[in-house]
Amino acid sequence: MIKSLSISFLTILLVLVILIATGTGAMHMSPLQVLAILLERTGIHLPVVYEENMSGVLWMIRLPRVILGVLIGAGLGVAGAALQGLFRNPLADPGLIGISSGASMAAVVMIIIQNALPVFHSVPALNFYALNLAAFGGAVITTLFIFRVARTGGQAAVSTMLLAGIAVRALCESVTGLMTYMANNEQLRSITFWSLGSLGGASWQTVLGVLPFIVIPLILLPRLASALNLLSLGEREAMHSGVKVQRLKTQLIVLATMAVAAGVAVAGIIGFIGLIVPHIVRQFTGPDYRVLVPGAALAGAVLLSVADLLCRTIVAPAELPVGIITAIIGAPFFIWLIIKEKRTIIA
Amino acid sequence: MLRVKDISLTLGKTGILNKVSLEAGAGELCVIMGANGAGKSSLLKVIAGEYAHYRGSVNIAGNELRNMPVAEQARTRAVLSQQLSLNQPFPVIDVVSMGRFVYGSYLSVPDKEIITCALKTMQVYNLKDRAYPTLSGGQKQRVQMARVLAQLLEEPDLYAANYAGKKMLLLDEPVTGMDILHQQLALQLATTLAAQGVLVIAVLHDFQLAAAYARRLFLLKDGSLYATGSVEEVFTPQHIKHCFGVDVAVLQHPHCNYPLVVSAAAAGLFQSPAVMAINEL
Repeated sequence: MIKSLSISFLTILLVLVILIATGTGAMHMSPLQVLAILLERTGIHLPVVYEENMSGVLWMIRLPRVILGVLIGAGLGVAGAALQGLFRNPLADPGLIGISSGASMAAVVMIIIQNALPVFHSVPALNFYALNLAAFGGAVITTLFIFRVARTGGQAAVSTMLLAGIAVRALCESVTGLMTYMANNEQLRSITFWSLGSLGGASWQTVLGVLPFIVIPLILLPRLASALNLLSLGEREAMHSGVKVQRLKTQLIVLATMAVAAGVAVAGIIGFIGLIVPHIVRQFTGPDYRVLVPGAALAGAVLLSVADLLCRTIVAPAELPVGIITAIIGAPFFIWLIIKEKRTIIA
Repeated sequence: MLRVKDISLTLGKTGILNKVSLEAGAGELCVIMGANGAGKSSLLKVIAGEYAHYRGSVNIAGNELRNMPVAEQARTRAVLSQQLSLNQPFPVIDVVSMGRFVYGSYLSVPDKEIITCALKTMQVYNLKDRAYPTLSGGQKQRVQMARVLAQLLEEPDLYAANYAGKKMLLLDEPVTGMDILHQQLALQLATTLAAQGVLVIAVLHDFQLAAAYARRLFLLKDGSLYATGSVEEVFTPQHIKHCFGVDVAVLQHPHCNYPLVVSAAAAGLFQSPAVMAINEL
């Protein structure tokens, strides 16, 4: 009951946030006007007055950005829930354990390579997918590495996991630093963009670019939710109950990193969403992954949309990188989490 | 139902099991005993399909364990392990429902009835909405047993189905941490299931419980099968001295239809009436 209620509540909240975020900016539109403009395309005419140029601003500028935020937020939320289930550990966050750093390092290396190889100049679309693939590869390798290092006796020890995360991040950042040193002016600007995280580059092209990489995990991860529940009993017990544990772990790693890497490839490192969101959702729905996974996707979308709305309005007409906002909210939350649960989770 | 032939297991470079062979039929309640490190749990884990690298053959209901997919294993046998580490606040009923995973992630009406039956059988029905981590150790153990029961049952009634040749239940120290009442209930449940045809194999430490409930005993020593047979055949002072290094007396009591194993030191405390009469002279 509470479970289906939470999902409905989050869905309604997400729709409202999308309407408000799309309407907010230099040219203000009311949520009703936004709705009217959106429905106009489907042939439904609402009796709401709006200016002609509003439609252009909405379709060309606002909507791709809001949708990109929704997609990346949902991807980070769902990946956070999946990773916490995989590591059987509530502190597993793609940013904290270095997955995002791995993705961003691979992306930065790719930026440098792309300039050196003439193939990429002739086919611009190749650029984008190569970047996505590089980020994905970097993320998968980091996840596998952390999982291998941190796992002792079927459970990821928190301290080992976080220490491995620190080490991986240091390594990735040093490589990123090296690339920065070697980069020219134009490359430097794109590299800075990775490390801060921003949805400023949003266009329909970027939306289409990340769409498959996030939609696939969004569809497939909820199907693994029952098995994730069993995994929280322990890997052995999950196997006894009929879960193909090895295959489940592979699926989780591939799908979660796919979602994270797609986000990193277009928007850089946006931290803490994967950590905060499953926690907040869990407070209301309990630990059942069948609700937690879709709930985390919805709540992640809401949270990133709101954060992006804040960062493009509080210093308007300039804008803050959204990674700064999520870190300002996320880091104190992380500290609170450590204090609250230090007895139970830092074992 | 179960034929284990010449299984050997090494973990790292340490040999854990050495050419163990045993057989057990449908409806038997078998108990594995042995000193710490004798390989009891490892033997159970091999049968449970946890190790892929054992040598030898394990045959369950006519199928070679190596060739059985995980789901088929889960439909044939249920396992209750030691040291369960669930720390998420799942309500008890959700934990027990996890036992039905292998029968499909959607819970049908019979599934729910089986879950209720398992909760009631293990006397945790009144705890069904409590968060699992808030339970005591013995209550947790009973909830886990209910989960395992939910995985095993085909009907929402212990007596409704004949499981001969179809189901196997593996219990690794199932009563550790339970009070004496629930120890008895758990083992009576094991006996009931055995009467319905389930092959039950349990690792136990308690001689009294083993003597009272086991139909067949497997005594392990240093990774090998040391003795096997009925309680009377296996529980002799010589066997126990060899396997556990303790001097014991095996006593018969007129009100008790199984032998009592008492450590010799303890037996010395209770002198027989004849000795006491002599001392009084």
